[in-house]
Amino acid sequence: MESAPPAGPAAGIQVEDKGLKKNAISFLSNIVIGVASTAPAYSLAATLGYIALVTGLGAHSPAVILVCFFPMAAIAAAYYYMNRADPDCGTTFSWMTRAMGPWAGWQGGWAIVVADVLVMPSLASVAGIYSFSLFGNNAPSTFEVTVVGVGWIVIMTAICYIGIELSARTQQLLLGMEFTTLVIFAVVALVKVYTTHPAHSIEPAASWFNPFDISSISALNGGILLAVFIYWGWDSGVSVNEETENSTTAPGRAAIVSTFVLVGIYLLVATAAQAFGGVASLANNPSDVLAPLGKGVLGSPLDKLLIIAVLSSASASTQTTILPTARTTLSMARAKALPKQFGKVHPRFLSPGFSTIAMGTASTLVYVLLSVTSPANLIGDAFTSLALTIAFYYGFTGFACVIFYRRELFKSVKNFLFIGVLPFFGGAGLTFVLVKAVIEYSKPHAGFAKPFLGIGSPVAIALLTIIMGIVFMLIQRVTMPAFFKRRPEVADPALVAASPAGRSS
Amino acid sequence: MSAGIIVGYDGSDCSKEAVRVALEVGKAYGEIVVIAFAYELSPVGGELHDYHAALKELATRRLIEATALAADAAGDVEAVIVEQAPAQALVALAGERDARVIVVGTRGESPIRGALLGSTPHKLLHLSDRPVLVVPAPD
Repeated sequence: MESAPPAGPAAGIQVEDKGLKKNAISFLSNIVIGVASTAPAYSLAATLGYIALVTGLGAHSPAVILVCFFPMAAIAAAYYYMNRADPDCGTTFSWMTRAMGPWAGWQGGWAIVVADVLVMPSLASVAGIYSFSLFGNNAPSTFEVTVVGVGWIVIMTAICYIGIELSARTQQLLLGMEFTTLVIFAVVALVKVYTTHPAHSIEPAASWFNPFDISSISALNGGILLAVFIYWGWDSGVSVNEETENSTTAPGRAAIVSTFVLVGIYLLVATAAQAFGGVASLANNPSDVLAPLGKGVLGSPLDKLLIIAVLSSASASTQTTILPTARTTLSMARAKALPKQFGKVHPRFLSPGFSTIAMGTASTLVYVLLSVTSPANLIGDAFTSLALTIAFYYGFTGFACVIFYRRELFKSVKNFLFIGVLPFFGGAGLTFVLVKAVIEYSKPHAGFAKPFLGIGSPVAIALLTIIMGIVFMLIQRVTMPAFFKRRPEVADPALVAASPAGRSS
Repeated sequence: MSAGIIVGYDGSDCSKEAVRVALEVGKAYGEIVVIAFAYELSPVGGELHDYHAALKELATRRLIEATALAADAAGDVEAVIVEQAPAQALVALAGERDARVIVVGTRGESPIRGALLGSTPHKLLHLSDRPVLVVPAPD
């Protein structure tokens, strides 16, 4: 391979084995990527208020966050094993296609796209609101927030398109600042609650954390569905396996550790916020919880730190929303499940150009549409319906793991527990919540906006996206039938035999 | 004694010009010309494998183009894909081969734009421990 004969150019091309710099990403960085993708500060700012708003939940928001953690950790185990079987393909689309066939796989991929597009309005409006807070304007109009929010989407899409990508080190820095700020906020808030007893403050009680103290099961469900969102994103850490030290075990372990890190910070901040401002302060500012509390807790100008934490969190999250969506549609295009434009890589910037622009455009359209037709209400409802979608694709990833490994489950107790029971438990948990929520949210007054055709707007939004998904899928079936002839596969027995099943071994 | 010419290629007109100049330099010294296509994958976000495969395909296509450009050249030509950020990749490759010179094209973009978007020639000048030849884009 030393010199290529000019006549046969293809033969002379070689790939340097510097590759995806092996072992470039430490275990810590892997956790950082997983946690940063989840965007803890932004997730809390955007979610905590809506959880507190759920009728009948009272002060039990922390309990909801705690309950939601268990199926998530179980799904993290499913990701761990699917990642081992199909380590390079990353996400639900390819895994569901392998385990359950092309139809299910296509819907799994579609669910990721829908979830990512539906989160953008909320992301953009939080980024918009916090941009104004940073400069002291605490009551921007919907129009102003929409303009700035669209600006954020455009900038972030451009950054993803041009290919300026956050490295693991930048993420470490941003996340470090975010975590430090959140911990300072929480500690100061709690100290003030116990020492100076600010107005409306309440001292934390053990019952806040006890899910069995929640009076109504539908309130628990409603809360859980919202809380699903705050854990969403840790799966990003799994996809960097090729570059991680001990790539067979570390990424999966990092995903699981990420969920633990998240539950810790969420419980701390949720408790502190609720203790400092009372339940009403959370419920009164659902689209933005932390900024109003920031001034009271940290005082001026330190409260700006909190705003910057949420902004950097939201911008990091926008990137980790656009990047995987664009790569999912790229992956679908390469599998011939979407038109091939989606698989195009920009010749100069080397980013998935068409997919990135498509994602940015779709997000902007959805955001403006929701904003114009019914400010705040529909964005909140889209956010609620987002949880249905996430529950669907996380849950089905759990089932995909069980189905894919079905012939290996009974070969050892460890296999049975970690590849069978745990992912199934996660999948079943998320499916149960999904079903309950469909029932609850389809009631006419379930949403903040008016019902469509008598159906509550969160479910109406979800139904609309499912119908669109089916229509698009059928169009694909007609125009590009090859993909839909793929047959489901099972795990290669050698895979499980070759590497010990349990992480602990 | 250093030998060999490393040239960065991305398919743009200015990189074609760079390859042309690199071949001239290679001919003058009677040394091998290594045409390199470099890219870096961001670890953030899912579906890394398919993205990786798409980039590799693009890189291979580009290098086939580039070696075709070199078809008339008399000397040795080699094509490599380096999976690293372009400037770092060229420096590393040059170090490994102990190359005489690194050749790159420049689009002639404004300094501000280059600073914002990250201009490879600009970074290369700062990083490289050996001569860099910057070839302006043809008119």
